[in-house]
Order: sequence, then C-alpha cells, then structure tokens
Amino acid sequence: MHFPAARFLLALLLPLAATAQTGSELTVYTYPSFASDWGPGPAVKEAFEQQCSCRVNFVVLESSGDILQRLRLEGDSSEADVVLGLDTGTMDTARQTGLLTTHQIDTSSLDLPITWADNLFVPFDWGYFAFVYDTEQLPNPPVSLEALIAAPDDLKIIIQDPRTSTPGLGLLLWLRHVYGDQAPAKWTQLKDKILTTTKSWSDGYFSLFMNGEAPMILSYSTSPAYHMAIDKTDRYQAANFAEGHYLQVEVAALVGSSDQKALGREFLRFMLTDGFQRHIPLKNVMYPAIDLGPELPDVFNKLITPSKTRYFKPAEVAENRRDWLDEWLNAMTR
Amino acid sequence: MPEVVRAPLSHPAWQHWPGSLLAAAIILLAVCGAGALFWQAPALDIGDLWASRYLRSVVLFTLWQAFLSVSLSVLLALPIARALDRHRNFVGRGLLLRLMELSLVVPTIVAVSGLVSMYGRQGWLTVVLQEWLPFLSWNLYGLNGIVLTHVFFNAPLATRILLQALESAPSTQRRIASQLGLGSLWLWRSLEWPSIRPVLPGIVALVFTLCFTSFAIVMTLGGGPATSTIEVAIYQALRFEFDAGRAALLALIQLLICGTLWWLVLRKGLNTALVPDRQLVISHARPDAKGVRKLLDSFLLAAFVLFLTLPLLAVLARGLPGLADAMMPSGFANQGLQLLQATALSLGIALPAGVVSVVTSLLILGVKPRSANTPISRLLETSAYLPLIIPPLVLATGLFLLLRPKLGIASEGLALVALINAMMALPFVMQLLRGPLRNLDPASTRLADQLGIRGWYRWRWLHWPRLRRPLALGLAYGTGLSLGDFGVIALFGSPSAPTLPVLLYQQLGSYQINAAAGTGLWLMVVLLALFGLFNLIGKPSTKSQRLHSPKPIQLETSDA
Repeated sequence: MHFPAARFLLALLLPLAATAQTGSELTVYTYPSFASDWGPGPAVKEAFEQQCSCRVNFVVLESSGDILQRLRLEGDSSEADVVLGLDTGTMDTARQTGLLTTHQIDTSSLDLPITWADNLFVPFDWGYFAFVYDTEQLPNPPVSLEALIAAPDDLKIIIQDPRTSTPGLGLLLWLRHVYGDQAPAKWTQLKDKILTTTKSWSDGYFSLFMNGEAPMILSYSTSPAYHMAIDKTDRYQAANFAEGHYLQVEVAALVGSSDQKALGREFLRFMLTDGFQRHIPLKNVMYPAIDLGPELPDVFNKLITPSKTRYFKPAEVAENRRDWLDEWLNAMTR
Repeated sequence: MPEVVRAPLSHPAWQHWPGSLLAAAIILLAVCGAGALFWQAPALDIGDLWASRYLRSVVLFTLWQAFLSVSLSVLLALPIARALDRHRNFVGRGLLLRLMELSLVVPTIVAVSGLVSMYGRQGWLTVVLQEWLPFLSWNLYGLNGIVLTHVFFNAPLATRILLQALESAPSTQRRIASQLGLGSLWLWRSLEWPSIRPVLPGIVALVFTLCFTSFAIVMTLGGGPATSTIEVAIYQALRFEFDAGRAALLALIQLLICGTLWWLVLRKGLNTALVPDRQLVISHARPDAKGVRKLLDSFLLAAFVLFLTLPLLAVLARGLPGLADAMMPSGFANQGLQLLQATALSLGIALPAGVVSVVTSLLILGVKPRSANTPISRLLETSAYLPLIIPPLVLATGLFLLLRPKLGIASEGLALVALINAMMALPFVMQLLRGPLRNLDPASTRLADQLGIRGWYRWRWLHWPRLRRPLALGLAYGTGLSLGDFGVIALFGSPSAPTLPVLLYQQLGSYQINAAAGTGLWLMVVLLALFGLFNLIGKPSTKSQRLHSPKPIQLETSDA
C-alpha cells in the first residue's frame, strides 16, 4: 500500500514544477485534433513563437461546442486570448455572448467559396460536408441527395446526431437548404437507410465505418485527401452530389477580456499567412483559407468540386436551429 | 503492559466526524453543482417540458432498456457467480476475474468497436450466424445492441459483486453443507440465497442507474433519435443551446426516477442479514460441483468467457498494428513516447482519484449510526449514490461555475478532475467495501472490545486482514474508472499534455485510425496491469496459508 501513497504525493508535487513559466503568453482555446501532434497545432505554435517572442499555450476542449460553452461559463474572467475552432454553425451564438472583440485585421487575402465580411471572426479553413464511401463495398454510389433518398433501404449510411455533432448539424442544414419546408418529409424517406446516428464523428468513423459496418458515412469532402496522401489508398472517396454541398467555415476570434489583444491580433494576422496555412491541408484535412498556390498538396486536386455551394448565413442558423432540430426529431421518431 | 498510551485514532470522534463531514460535503457539492445551473437559468417552463411528446417517449424508452438490461445482466450473473463459487481452482480463473473487473472501466468507444466487430453487420459472429441459421435475422442496431452492450458491461460487474457475497458465506455453514452432502437446491436455499439477498437490491439499483444514464452506447448502437436517453437531451441543452435551466430540469427528472429507485432499495436496508464471517474463507469442496453439474458449469463458464473475451480479442487484433508501430524503435521517438507521457499523466490523476475514493468510502462506511433510520444514516447512504444519479456533465458544469474564479492554474483543474473522478467511483467502491466492513462477526468485535483493541490497532488487526482484498479491488475500480474518463477532463480542458483517453480522441480526430486503435489497446493493457497489480497487493503476504491438499477441507486465501 506504500506504492500508491508515494504516487499520490508525487502526483501532487509534479504539477507545481510544471507551472513556473515566464514571458508573455498567448492562451488559445481549441479542439483536440487541432492541438494534437498530428494536427497543425504544434507546427503553427513553433512558427508563431519564432516571430513573436512569446509562448503559445493551447487549452484543449472536447469539441468546437465546448469552446463556446467554456467561454460562456468563464465570462469576463476567461483565460483565453483567442478562441480557435468555432464554425459557421455556432458563430452567431458566440457573437451574441458579447464576449468577443473585433479583429481589425485585413482579410482580403481570404480565398473562400463565399465572400466574407465579418468584424469578429477570421476564417482559418473550410470544407464541404459530404458522404464518404468505401469503393470496395459500393462501387456506384448515389449521384445526388435525391438519389440517396430514393435508394433502396439496403443501402446503409451512418450519420451523426445534429444535437451533438457539427457534421450532424451540417447535414440537417444541407437538407434544409436543398428542400426547404419539404426537408422533414425527405428525412422520413431517408430514415430507414440510416444504420445509426452516432454522438460524434469519431464514434461513427472509428467504431463503425472503418469496421465495414456501412459503405457510406457523413464526413467531409476532404476526408479522402488524408487517406490518399497519408494512408496511400484510393479506397475511400467522397460522393459528389448534384444538388451541391453544404459549406463549413472554421473561424477564430479575439476574446474581449484578453490582456494580450495586440498579440492576439498578431496571431490572427499570422493565421492568414503561408506559415500557418501550409499546415492546414494535410494536418487539419480541410481547405486552406488563403490561396496556397503550388504549396497545396496534389491530392487536393483529386477531390470533388461541388457544382453549388449550399450555405445559410450564421444569423439564420442561430435563429432557426431549435425549430429545425425539433422538426428533425419529429420526422425521425414518428 | 502499561495502559497509559492511547491507541492512535481511538477517540470516538474519529469514528463519527470525518465520515459524516465527507458525506455532507459530497451532498453539498452535488446540490451546489446542480443548483448553480438553476441559479444561472433565466426562467423555467416545466409545463412545456412535460408536454413534449418526444421527452415522454425518451423517458419511457430509457426505463424500458434499463429494465431489460438489468434483468438480463442479473439473470446471467447469478448462474455464473454460482459456477465460479463452485469451482475455485480451475486454470485461468484469476485472469477471468481480472477481465470481469476490467469490463466496467473499458472506455466505451474501445468496447463498442470490439462488440461491433463481433456482432455488427460485418461481425465475425453475425457472418457465422447467417451461414448456419439464415432464417435468424440479427440486427445489432436498436434495442438489441443497446441491451447486448449493457449486458457486456454490467453482467461482469454484477457477477463480481455476487461472487464476493457468495464467498463470504459463513464457513461453519459451508462445512455443515459439505458434511451433509446437500444438493444444489438446498445449498441455494440455505447458503447462497442468504448471502446474495443483502447485496442484490444494491446491484439492481447500481446496474439500473448505469444503464439509465448510459449515453454514447445508446447513441452509437441505438439507430436514431427514437432511442435516446435523458442524458442526450441534457447534453444537447448544455452544449448546444446553453439552456442551463432545461438541463437542470432534465437532470431533476433523472434524479427523481433514479432517486426513487434508490430510496426503495435503501428503505429495505442494504445492511440487513449481517452474516457472521471469519477472516479466513475456508472453502469446502462443494457437493454439487461434480458430475452433470460440473459439465453444465464448464459449458456456462466457457460461453461467458467467449462472450467477454471475443470482443476484447477483436480490440487486440485491431490495435496490435498501431501499438507495434508505437513500440518499434522507429516510431517510439514520438508515438511511443507520447503514449508513455499520456500514461504517466493519466496515472497521476487516476491513482490519487482511486486513493481518495477508497479513503472516503472507508470513512463514510466507518460511521456507525445508532440506528439504520436516523437522518445521519440516510445522509450517509445518499452520499454514496448521488454521484451516480447526477449527470456528470451537470455536476462538472455546476462546479465549474462555482469554483471558476478560484481556479488559477491548470494543475488545480487537474486536481478537480481527480476529485470528481474519485466521487464518481464512490458508488462502486462502497458497494465493494460495505459487506466486508459491516459484516464483522460479533464474536471478534466482542473480543476486540474486551482486549481494548481500538483505533488504529483495531483497524490494523481486525479490519485490515479482512478488507485487504476488497480494498485493493476498490482501489483498482477507483483508479480504473478515472483512467478511462474522458467526459470530465474534456470539460475542464487539458493543457497540451493529453491523458490517454484524450490522446485517443485526438488521434481519432486526426484520422489516425491505426494509432487510435493502438492507444485503445494500450489503455486496456494498462488497465489490466493495474487490476493485476492491485490484486497482488490485495493478497495476504503473511506466510503461506494455502494448503494444497486434496481433502475436502482446504484453506482458501485468495481468489486467484
């Protein structure tokens, strides 16, 4: 029994040693895959630290929703200087908190499928939601949302719950944008093809899709880039739907209570340079927010190009989300 | 011997105050946690919530799946525990027990992956089943999958607690049963049922609560929003709609339903039927452990072993390439090292959490109220189960609101994570320790009283030898639960250094499917090692009391 007691003491003492730090520090709230060793976080941190003579400190929260949640809970006493990882689905809710402040930087270098004018949020990457399919199980995937909805029920897909997951909400908005008030009826038709609705993208991708449980999963149009570039396999591809694809833009913003606003703005400015953006394509597996020119990896040229960009203004999403979710619930539980 | 020296910790207050205060603190913490949400909430519309058809169906479904899961888990656990009690010396029994202990703490995403590769649409077993019994259409997704997974998680837990109860059956009665050559039915009535009965309501309530509050499993395997639990609605309200009031109200509904169940269980009293018990469990050859019965038991146990191990083998098969990569010299520099660092951080949180939960359990259980129905004893019992019923998300969010201004540095956040983890492990640890601590036979107590063995010495010489094994197991549960925790640490946010589960999710989020499978496997290996280690610690080291004799009477001092 002496062993755990010793470990207990050790564990109490260890963190004390780790907290001694000096110099100006920029605290960035973000989500796990951004800050992980495979994500862009470490490389971005190193590049920025070289030019700012400061330290970047990532605080990792469970998901993009949690970043906002944490910010709200902390209010004016937040440790965060910058929040990185909100998206167009949660942006307006974040704006309404009044906890964020203007970025005041030049965003003319942005290269997005939509025009961007926002005084609080700076995009750092973007992507389309898409169904990724396993070419070995499904050589001929549906060519449109309509074809998917009309497909026989033995075609199974895995989706994420719009109440708990960003892509899940993306699909809800996608159908809403394409079908308008007809969306609930379309959901009812789609229902029997849905193998299951997982809590998060990871649950579905890891536990089910990669175990071969269904040939199609709701993901991003950029997902195959990772499989092609890093796993060296063409097996997983995104289906190009005729109606177009729903757009997600990921954004960062400066926190109003930050005492490092100048440094925070410098970071946001740095975000729109090659030094930051070159790590986005293969490490965050999304499109870079600026034109990287020849630095864009080749596999990104092999990805699908949607014929149309589907997109609701963030304010419209914030206003209607609750109603659309309730509609969806009704259609799915009928 | 001079009588002037008082035994350390022998003042009566030591028996009373620390435990009562801790229990009160836990209840206060839980009430404040949930209360903080109400306080943050603008206005509550209860009518609106009750009018929701969806919510009513969610509550009904949650009750139904929890009922099915509990029934099946306990019905499976009973014969298995009896078989394990009948046969105490077969090869691999120790390993089987460790695996059973493990099932509670395996992170759900890892276990679900294993179960899917067994029972899913492309699962090994499903494929075999379709080959042999094509008319049987098996579909994992829906109620099937939810109940199957809950049984996978909870039947071993129930078995483990039942087995411990069975093993504590008084040795005198066992001897008589052995001498009389009683048959299975008679043994059940005279020996087994009396030992099981006091723990059974607790097990039912425990498993029910676990299934009732299950979240990721229900969503992943449920098929769609028709099969949701209240926790999903709470999550939605807190994370996406920032509707603290709605979340608190939903938490209250959950509290009411589960609380009623616990109240019913506790009203009957969990501590009745105190069976006298000596320290040494003298195991007698059971007269019903031969012949057809033996064959039946072997079959049953083999099936259970397969049920438990096949999904875990799938986890092994899937994780091996990733883990091998990390352990190779080429991959060790970053991947392997990262794995070890995450392990160190995880243990740094989990071991204190385990110790705290065990010490707290002991102090709370150590309080001896004058009668079983005083407010104090109610308080004590409630404190043990409250952490299970209050959704961790609500608790953590509430505590965050309360403590936030005082949380300066990340290490304090980690300490809080350890504390909440410890609290969440309390119900399990107390379930394990209650029996052995309370069931001290009157003869021994009287003897200790007469000899003036009090305080520390009483603990050292009377309780410790009997508590050693359950304590070690409790420590393993407390540590294991904390080690696999993702929810609490994710809310408080980890600094750049990840714990093992956070690392797993980071890898998943970065398409590192193989590495993630490897991390999942590694987590299982660490957990298994931990349970094995604590089991060794729990073994009495004094002399060799094990007599290997073929005689009907032999001394059994360990379960391995």
